[in-house]
Amino acid sequence: MTENNKGTAKIRILIVDDSWLVRLYYRDTLEKAGFEVEQAINGIEAMEKVLTQTYDLAIVDINMPRMDGISFVRSLRRSTPDVSSLPALMITTEAGQQDIVDARTAGANFYLVKPVSEAELLRHVAVLTGARR
Amino acid sequence: MPLIKRDAVTAPAAGDRPDDVASHIAALSGSDAQARWSAARALRGRADAIPALAAALRVEQEPHVREAIMTAIMRVGDEASVAVLLPYIRSQDAGERAAAIEALQALPEAILPFLPELFSDSDSDVRVLATELARNVPAADATHALCALLEREQHANVCAAAIDVLAEVGTRDAIPVLKACAERFAGTPFVPFAVSIAIARIPDS
Amino acid sequence: MARLEARGPPAVHVTQQEVRRLCEFLYRRTGMSFADNKRYYVDRRLAERIVATKSESFQSYFAILRSDVDHEIEHLVNAFTVNETYFYREEHQLRCMTSNLLDNVIRAKKPGESIRIWSIPCSTGEEPYSIAIWLMENWREVDSYNIEIVGSDIDTRALKAAADGVYGDRALARLSGDVIARYFQKVENNSYRIDPGLRDSIQFTRANLIDASEMALYHSFDIVFCRNLLIYFDDSSRRIAAENLYDCLHPSGYICLGHSETMSRISPLFRVCRFYDAIVYQKPEAGRDRE
Repeated sequence: MTENNKGTAKIRILIVDDSWLVRLYYRDTLEKAGFEVEQAINGIEAMEKVLTQTYDLAIVDINMPRMDGISFVRSLRRSTPDVSSLPALMITTEAGQQDIVDARTAGANFYLVKPVSEAELLRHVAVLTGARR
Repeated sequence: MPLIKRDAVTAPAAGDRPDDVASHIAALSGSDAQARWSAARALRGRADAIPALAAALRVEQEPHVREAIMTAIMRVGDEASVAVLLPYIRSQDAGERAAAIEALQALPEAILPFLPELFSDSDSDVRVLATELARNVPAADATHALCALLEREQHANVCAAAIDVLAEVGTRDAIPVLKACAERFAGTPFVPFAVSIAIARIPDS
Repeated sequence: MARLEARGPPAVHVTQQEVRRLCEFLYRRTGMSFADNKRYYVDRRLAERIVATKSESFQSYFAILRSDVDHEIEHLVNAFTVNETYFYREEHQLRCMTSNLLDNVIRAKKPGESIRIWSIPCSTGEEPYSIAIWLMENWREVDSYNIEIVGSDIDTRALKAAADGVYGDRALARLSGDVIARYFQKVENNSYRIDPGLRDSIQFTRANLIDASEMALYHSFDIVFCRNLLIYFDDSSRRIAAENLYDCLHPSGYICLGHSETMSRISPLFRVCRFYDAIVYQKPEAGRDRE
């Protein structure tokens, strides 16, 4: 968490999705709700980010170029404890039944089926980060 | 001084490894991953090796060898390459899908004739991935194909994916279709938002 | 008296939305991102490139950029980066090399086995010489191992300059007086020649990173510095180059990219490694893949 200028910690969320419209949508929703948001377009960039900075939650899409979301979570869980404990919220499709299974096996904490409404997103983010609203 | 210099850059000590197509094709089905890797690289761009490369791809478990096999196929760069790689976008394995999409994205000309069929696929996830393949084709072709998709598409995620690409490459021709899409999905999450951003990004002239 | 007005093509007007479109493309393609307060730089560089390509509108420029006509992506990215090469550029990677990477490299070395380091592209030689000097100045174990440093580039003129080893004082600005005194000889005003012993211990070769047959001559490297090259290649060539580099590395060998480069835009073959001074990428150990 980082301090905002009121001295209270802001919850930091990493959005991992190759669609910039989706990232924008999540970012708008989450920033309005007081979260600090950063982005990555695939699992490799996400690994670089989580290895360099701390986050409280990763929101992870499945289909991304060069490293998909499930591979990212696997890689995450194989990292050192300070990194591997990062909660991961997967965004899946309703047809992606195998993805849901694979994501859980890889170590994802929860999943949502897209398209995700703002309310749904905020509700699950609150649960996974312990944020009080 | 601890720095040393060899007289010349030398080839690896593997020495008399045979360098003909038949040997490489044989090595593709061997048990040694390093040999399969080398064979795939040696066969890069060889149209006559596509059947063997396709067969190897079907059973390859090592991600880096799979990558090399896909590159080898991709470098041929024609319809045959696309035909071999395309089925992998349906894979149940997310990593395989990602690898196939990446290889196919390097072949915009070859993929273009396949787009209409992909956009009509019964699997919505396939239609979503196919929109990504439209990204690198010329803007007018991409706009045309994506608009045709958007006009009839009922699945929100497919629309979302098409809108994402149109936000980058779309021309003004896309605006009426985008607006109609927003109306069709009014009151649902994301699509109306996506349309408004995409329309804002499309240049005026 | 009449004033002469400068004539030129009318400036192409670019909207903020168009700039956002460009920024999003750049971020997706290269990983470079620009905070709002840095957008000014984008506006400037974009305007320069529109003029340089004689584009009549943002649309037509963007089409050129997206298809990478005449390597436009390289031209645009170059406009943002400082291209000057100098000694001890990106010192944090050199520090990472001696603080972390080499410890891991020597763990697997048998007695008498050399450590092999490759600088590609080496341009006019500052990078391979920097590696050599840094090792001798900073690595405790430097006398316990044979170290081979190879510098390669596709540009033979740059290679000749590298082999000559003469540099202006700007290139030496990051070096201390002691280091300069130890490894350089002043040859004339503001020119320094690298110590001939050092110069002769670096192997300079011409090499094309995308040419498979040329690349077959390079193997068993422990550390590769491949900075500010891969990101300019098109999709297809980037894959080939990444596979070639993978092949040239020892298992568990490391590759260092340029300051604003990331493997996320290049290849899935390597594992991301975070050390105190730098992020570098590693070829997985033999028998293990990336994960």
